[in-house]
Amino acid sequence: MTTVEERADDFVAQDIAVTIVDTDVHPLPVSGEVLKSYAPAEWKDKLWPTGNAVSPVPHFYDTPDSYKTMSLRVDAAPPRGGVAGSDPEFAAKQLLVDAGVSIAMLEPMCDAQLPHAEHVLKATHNDWLADVWLGENNWHGRWRGAISVTAQDPHAAAREIERWAGHPYMAEVLMTPQTRGIPFGSPHFDPLYEAAARNNLPVATHLMGQTPFELIPIYPVGNPAHWHDFFASWPLLYVSHLMSLVFDGAFDRHPDLRIVFVEGGFTWAMPVMWRMDRIWQQRRGDLPHVRRKPSDYVREHVRFTTQPLEDVNVAMYREYLEMMDLGDCLMFSTDYPHWSYDSPEWAVRRFPADQRERIMRGNATALYGLPSTVKALPGEQPPAA
Amino acid sequence: MMQRRPVCAIEDLPPGSMKLVQAGKFGVGVYNIEGAVYAIANYCSHEGAPLCAGYVVGTNEYAPEMPDQLRRVREGRIARCPWHNWEFDITTGVNLADPQKRVRTYEVDVSDGQVYLTA
Amino acid sequence: MIIDANVQPHFRYNAEIRKFLGPAHKLRSIPDVEQQWYQAPGGDYRQDLYGNGYPGSDPDTVASHLFTDGGASHAILNPLTRGNIADYLLNSRICAAVNDWLLTRWLEPDDSGRFLGTIRVNPEDVKGAVAEIERLAGHPKMVQVGVPLQSREPYGKPMFEPIWETAAAHNLPVAVHINGGNGVDHAPTFAGHAYTYPGYAAFMPLNSFVHLATLIIEGTFGRIPGLRFVFADGGYDILTPLIWRLDTFWMSMRDQTPWVDRYPSEYLRDHVRFCSSAFDGPTDAALAERWLDFSDKADLLMYGSGYPHWSTSAPDDVTAGLNAEQREKVLWRNASDLYSVTEGSLT
Repeated sequence: MTTVEERADDFVAQDIAVTIVDTDVHPLPVSGEVLKSYAPAEWKDKLWPTGNAVSPVPHFYDTPDSYKTMSLRVDAAPPRGGVAGSDPEFAAKQLLVDAGVSIAMLEPMCDAQLPHAEHVLKATHNDWLADVWLGENNWHGRWRGAISVTAQDPHAAAREIERWAGHPYMAEVLMTPQTRGIPFGSPHFDPLYEAAARNNLPVATHLMGQTPFELIPIYPVGNPAHWHDFFASWPLLYVSHLMSLVFDGAFDRHPDLRIVFVEGGFTWAMPVMWRMDRIWQQRRGDLPHVRRKPSDYVREHVRFTTQPLEDVNVAMYREYLEMMDLGDCLMFSTDYPHWSYDSPEWAVRRFPADQRERIMRGNATALYGLPSTVKALPGEQPPAA
Repeated sequence: MMQRRPVCAIEDLPPGSMKLVQAGKFGVGVYNIEGAVYAIANYCSHEGAPLCAGYVVGTNEYAPEMPDQLRRVREGRIARCPWHNWEFDITTGVNLADPQKRVRTYEVDVSDGQVYLTA
Repeated sequence: MIIDANVQPHFRYNAEIRKFLGPAHKLRSIPDVEQQWYQAPGGDYRQDLYGNGYPGSDPDTVASHLFTDGGASHAILNPLTRGNIADYLLNSRICAAVNDWLLTRWLEPDDSGRFLGTIRVNPEDVKGAVAEIERLAGHPKMVQVGVPLQSREPYGKPMFEPIWETAAAHNLPVAVHINGGNGVDHAPTFAGHAYTYPGYAAFMPLNSFVHLATLIIEGTFGRIPGLRFVFADGGYDILTPLIWRLDTFWMSMRDQTPWVDRYPSEYLRDHVRFCSSAFDGPTDAALAERWLDFSDKADLLMYGSGYPHWSTSAPDDVTAGLNAEQREKVLWRNASDLYSVTEGSLT
C-alpha cells in the first residue's frame, strides 16, 4: 500500500528532468464545506441548496459497480481519509512518485443550471484550486491548473480568464463540451476564445459530468441505454465541435487559439480530417471563409489527450498511429484517479517509437510552456539519464 | 524460484477474506472462498493494476427468461480489477469476457491448519 | 461486374405520390421530399441532371446513366420518404405509396431485371412496418427493407425488434439511409445544428454508429442471427476508432449486458455492411489499400453511387488505390453475396 513519505525538516529538493506530462487529472475538494468556504457569502445557499433541497448524486450512465467505486480507482482512496483525488500529498505520491508523472494538469468538474450561478461556481473552484493545489501544496511546482469558465456567458468567462492570466501555475482554460446546442465554432464563444488566445492559454474541454436534461446531449438518433455504447459514441460530440470550429471559421477568427479535446479519444481524428478535407474540396464555394485545408487547421490548432487508449493489438495500433501521423498533436494523460486510468508505463509502449517523446512530454511542454526540470519528491528516484 | 512458503494459520484467513503475500514480482493474493483456498497474482493482465486491491464480487449471466435478463452468480468468486473492473474468476484465473486474458494462478494448500503458497 | 447498391429514384414532382395514396389520406398534407435547412446550396443533385425533369425521375435516363455510362449490371433503388412526420400511421401510408410507385414505375416495367428495390417502412409504426414487409417480401425484385437514418431512438432499442425479426425472417437486409422530407427529429449533430451545409453533410452519416452500437450492445444481433444492416450513407471511416472503443470497454462493462458474449467487432462480418460515399476514405490513395483492411472493411463495403446526388461517385473514385481482391469485393462480390444477385439474374 502506498504510504506518504513526509518531508524531513532538512529535506532539500533535487531537480529532476521532466519526462512525463499528464494532461488530465481530477482533484476534488476534501469536503463540500471546504469548497463552500471559497464562495461569496450571498451565493452559498444558492449554489448548495439547504433545507429540504439537496444536491443529489447524478448518475444515470453508470460505470462498473459505481455505487461502490464511484467511478474511481479502488486503490486511490487516501489513507488519511477522504475520497480519491482529495488529498494533494497522497495524489503526489501515487501519481508523481509511483507512476512517474513529472507534471500534471488538474481539471476540476462542475456545472450549474443558470449562467451567473455557473460563473460563480467556476470562480469558486478556481479559488479553491489555486489555494489548495497550486499554493502551499505545490512547493514542488508539479501541479498545473485549469481556469474553469462558464460556456453559458462568454463575457463572464473572459473576465475570469483575465483574473487568472499570469498566475504561475494556471496553464489552460477549461470549458464544458455540453453546450446546450451551441457548437464550438459559433461566434457566441468569441469573447472567451479571444481572452484565452490573447493570454496564450489553450482552451481545453472535458465531459463535465452526468448533468440533467440536454446537458447530456440528446444524441441525434437517440441515446443508448448503457454507459458502454453511450461512451463509445461520445467522441462524436467532439467531432461535432471540431467540424464546427473548422467550418464555422473559429480558427480563422482566432489564429492563436488552441483547443484541447480531453478524454475523447483521438484515433477518430484521422478519418475526420479526411472527411473534412474531402467535403471542403468538393464544396469550396460553401465555405469562402475557410481559407486553408481543414486538416491543416487540426494540426496547428488542436490537441488530443490520449486516455482512454484502446486496448487492441499493439502492432496494429502502432501501425494505425503511424498512418495517422498526428504525433505532434497527442498528449499523454492518465485521468487519475478515475477508474479508466491509463498507466504511463503501459501506455508508452503503445505508441510508435518515434512519437513517444512528443506524446509523453514534448507536445504538452510546448503547448503549456512547461519547464524542463521540476523538484523531486521525498522517496522519488530520479529517472536514469 | 518457486518455493512452498507458509502464509498464515487457516483461522487467520476466514472464508471471504484475502491475504496479500510478498511473493512473485507483484505479490500474490491468497483467498479463502467458502473454505477452499486459491491464489492469484496481484497483477492485472491489462495495465498492471494491483488486482487484489479490487473488490471481490459475483457477476451477472444472461438469463433471457428473467424480466431484467440477468441472474447473479458466482458470488464471492470474482476479483474485479481496481482500475478498469476487468472480471477474473479467482478459482481459475480466467477473465470472464475474454478467456485469453487470464491472470496467473498459484498452488495453495492447507496442511496442519497452516496455509501454504507455492510461488 | 459492378453492382450499384445505392441509388435514389425520385418522383417526377412531389405531388405525384398522391396517385398512390388511399382515399382516407388524399387530403392530408405531406412534406416535400426536399429537406428544409440542410439542402445543398445550388441543388442537392448532380448539376448535369437538371433541366430534364426532376433528377433521377426517368427510368430510361437513369438506366442509361447507371448501366450504359456507369457499367453497373444491377442497381438497388432505395427511394426517399418524406421525413419522420408526427402521424406515424400517415407516415406508413407514405411508405406504402412510395413502395407501390417503385413497383409500378421502376420495377415491374423493367424486363431486364437490372433494377432492384427496397421496401420502405416506418420504424415508428411497428405493426405497420411488419405488415408492409409481409405484404411485399415475396416480390422477387424487393431485395431489402429501408428505414431512415433519422430516428428519435437508436435502432438497437427493443421497440423496433419485431421489424428486424420480420426482415431477417424473409432474408432481407435492412438499409439505413438519410431520409428526405422533414419530421420530428433531434438536431443532426451532437453539438446542435450545423451552421453550414458542409458541417451538416460531413457529420450526418456518422450518426449511423449509434444505431450500430446499440444493435450490438442491446443484443439485437445476438438474438437475430440472420439480421443484416446496411448503412447506406457511408460513415465507415469512423468505424475502426469507435468499434475499437466499443471493444475496449466491453471488458469492463460485460456484466451489465452479459448477452453480449463476444467482442463487439466480432458482430460486424455477419451483420453489418456499408455503401460507399464520396466523403469516406483516405485523401491519399496510397493509404487506401492498407486502410480498408482495418476492421476488415474490404468485406463490409459495397459500391453505391448515390445517384442522382451531387456527390455521386464513379466506381473508380471509390476503388482508387485498392488491390484487385478488394476492388472485386467492393464493386460487386459483397453486394452479390448479400442480395443473392448474380450477373444477369437474381438467384
